[in-house]
Amino acid sequence: MMERDLLRQSVSYHGDSLLSLLKCEQSENPDFKNVAADLSKTTSQRDKEEVSPVLEQFIARKADLLFAASWKTSTPADEWQEDPGEAYAVMPPLEQFMEVCFEERRELFYRDVERGDMLIGRINSVRDFGLFVTLLCTAGGLERDIEDLEIKALCPLREVPSTGNHDDPLSYYQIGDLIRAGLKDIDRYHEKLTLSLYPSSLAPHLDKVKLGVISKEDLPLHYIRGEKVVADSSQTYEKLLESSLGLSNPLNVHFLLGKLGISDTQTPSLMRGLQSKRFKEDDFATAIRKKQSVSWALKCVKAGVDHFKSGRHVDAMNEYNKALEIDTNNVEALVARGALYATKGSLIKAIDDFELALENCPTHRNAKKYLCQTLVERGGQLEEEEKLVTAEGLYKRATVLDDTFQEASEALAKLQLRIQKSLKLKELEAAKEQEKAKTVETSAEKLRKILKEERRMKKKRKRSTSSSTSSDTSSTTSEDSHASSRKKSKKRKHKRRRSSHSSKKHKRRVSSCSDKTVEDDWFPAPANTSASYINQKQSISKLISEGEPSWGKSRNEDGRGRLDDAMDRSLENVKYGAQPEASRLGRPEANGQATDQHRSLRDSSSSTQSEYSLKSDRHSKEFSLLGRKRCESERGGNDKTGRDQEDQGKSSGATLKKDVPSGLFNIFSQIAEFEKEKKLKK
Amino acid sequence: MSTQASASGSVNEARGRSAQDVENSKTHFRVCRFIIETGVKLGMRSVPMATACVLYHRFFQSASLRVYEPYLVAMSAIYLAGKVEEQHLRTRDIINVCHRYFHPESEPMELDWKFWELRDSVVQCELLILRQLNFQVSFEHPHKYVLQYLLSVKSLLNRHAWSRTPIAETALAVLKDSYHGSVCVRYKPQHLALTSLYLALQTYGVQLPRGELEWWQVVCADITKAQIETIMSELLQLYDMEAKCT
Repeated sequence: MMERDLLRQSVSYHGDSLLSLLKCEQSENPDFKNVAADLSKTTSQRDKEEVSPVLEQFIARKADLLFAASWKTSTPADEWQEDPGEAYAVMPPLEQFMEVCFEERRELFYRDVERGDMLIGRINSVRDFGLFVTLLCTAGGLERDIEDLEIKALCPLREVPSTGNHDDPLSYYQIGDLIRAGLKDIDRYHEKLTLSLYPSSLAPHLDKVKLGVISKEDLPLHYIRGEKVVADSSQTYEKLLESSLGLSNPLNVHFLLGKLGISDTQTPSLMRGLQSKRFKEDDFATAIRKKQSVSWALKCVKAGVDHFKSGRHVDAMNEYNKALEIDTNNVEALVARGALYATKGSLIKAIDDFELALENCPTHRNAKKYLCQTLVERGGQLEEEEKLVTAEGLYKRATVLDDTFQEASEALAKLQLRIQKSLKLKELEAAKEQEKAKTVETSAEKLRKILKEERRMKKKRKRSTSSSTSSDTSSTTSEDSHASSRKKSKKRKHKRRRSSHSSKKHKRRVSSCSDKTVEDDWFPAPANTSASYINQKQSISKLISEGEPSWGKSRNEDGRGRLDDAMDRSLENVKYGAQPEASRLGRPEANGQATDQHRSLRDSSSSTQSEYSLKSDRHSKEFSLLGRKRCESERGGNDKTGRDQEDQGKSSGATLKKDVPSGLFNIFSQIAEFEKEKKLKK
Repeated sequence: MSTQASASGSVNEARGRSAQDVENSKTHFRVCRFIIETGVKLGMRSVPMATACVLYHRFFQSASLRVYEPYLVAMSAIYLAGKVEEQHLRTRDIINVCHRYFHPESEPMELDWKFWELRDSVVQCELLILRQLNFQVSFEHPHKYVLQYLLSVKSLLNRHAWSRTPIAETALAVLKDSYHGSVCVRYKPQHLALTSLYLALQTYGVQLPRGELEWWQVVCADITKAQIETIMSELLQLYDMEAKCT
């Protein structure tokens, strides 16, 4: 594809001699033949004075490159930079230096200026229909010397934006103001220019420029420098260029090439041997380097494998690491290193290496093989650690990688059976414990309900309905979390204890929740409970007196507090929902303390409360096992004390006093104080 | 008789010398082609590449081809130019590309004694070049001038004419190709820049406005048309050499 117009222009400039040379040199070129016919018509004149056969010969020979459509690679970067700084030397228009005559400059200006260009001028009169402006210079892309041409342009009223207040917009402008405007319209024949102060009149790449009144500093650099040249005639183009900072910028070539859109590393050439199509990708430095790195790395790997076979594992590792330094992600090195890790027992590292190797080369047979083996081995390790689901994942991956690998599929099948079995077991246990819990609780359920019923009412009033609904939902989620948590548990025994404990708590909560629904039924109960309180009191005092030796010292001091705390906590849990429980169970590696701490930090609504829940969680397990029955029976009284501690500001305290005999109440308040002291000490 | 003999002898001598010169310039052409090709494969920018060629030409202005291996000098010139113009190149890459230039389609070099010796040679030669050039290795290149002149000339033209005429590409191509010969060390960078731009404008028959001065008179006050023509013909001769040398 040849540029017809360009060729025509060139031929008409050089004349027939060029045409005949072209025909001679480009006779083989099919593209030229298409254009040749056109060209014969165009020539006749010769504009230039001298004959330059050497040049014509050159043009003719290189015409297939010079006039090829693909020769022009530059893309004019159209953004107009407000201030290019000193990246390159901004020079006054060449017209000025050349001293192009008045007429020619004027003609050229009217020929080349276009709609959307930016112009700067001085207001010379303000009429009621608009502003008359004498142009000073061009701005934006066009650079011409037009000041002395004294071209006048009109900015009509409709193109002047209003200033906001309802004054006449023209009143803002005065004679002598410098304004920057866009060229809205041009009538070349009549040489009439219409300006506008609306940004919409500008070409898209200029639309960020502010139009309107400007100051002297805003004048374009080429104009300002041009002024200096006018003032001082000794300033030639050369001198100006040499003295400008932009010329000394070491990166000006890079910048200017970028502005032109030509790549600095792939500048064009007219030599046949340097055409880009002659260059092969493989001959470039980066390609060779890559190949070489792989080859050098392989040498290291080979040496490493030798070391490995002779048992020198440390040396082998060194060689592998060296290989990976030379060529990161080298497949052979990764596989070899992975094998070494696997042999040494660092299965996770081995798996990582194999996976990375497979990423880079999915068909590497050894990588797959070793990976499968290592996965199965790791799976076995995980199984022993009871991380059944993770193990299952690994076995599955192994079977996916290599479905012929029997060990993997066998192990997977075995594991799946095991998982199912354990699931069933857990379900059975859970069912059993639910049974137990139910039987235990039904005996105390009534009593508890009676005792707690009023408290619950008060609590629910104070707490938002959302919390109670959350406790409903959370109690159900805790069921699910139980099932899933079983799978993830580290030690089944601990899990059992915890799950039973939590299921108990859960049951308590459930029943406490259900308290709400049945509270109406229980109203008459309080009248009958006074007698049971007395029984309670005795058992409580027994407990208090015997409490210390029976529970053991270490736990004891915490014990009493914990007893209440456990109650309080279970109450709190209504608010917090089963979330803390579930999350605690859900995290296999969490030890009670860590999660409790988390919880205490998070749920710091009642800070003292959470502190105790910390300890109570740790020991409530044992507590629950030992004092389960006591807990139930004493619940009533202790609930009340707990309630006292909690609801310090609550009016329920007052109602409470009504229900509880005063003597009993004194004892309880004493206990409360005693424990407060204990807590403070801790 | 004797005068005749001596006359013919001196003529022969003259011919011989010029024959040797011709041979030398062909060698230089080939080596510069080698430098430019290597530069492209190494991703060298235009200015460091120009520096490498200038280093090479300057070196052989005072040194003899019989004494020094030109391709080694070329490799060291590339290495040195990378350092001077802040586009540092690794010796490993230079050696790789050059090795493959002489042994096409071969395997990359092994990290053996040959590699290390070659590397040593390059580094030693670098020092040699520095000494030969009196450590004056920083040059002014025509590139920035040609680009500045291009911008100025652009302002004279109609924007559409400019955008359809590949003046910049042609001027830069001519400039790049000029490094195959020693024009780069015998003329001022401004003159070379001017000539390549002049050549590009002439090629496409671009008409520029006329003032009291021609555009090239403005840009370089101390150049005459004749000089431009001289440089131009030298530049164009290089294209003829290509056919003879490659």
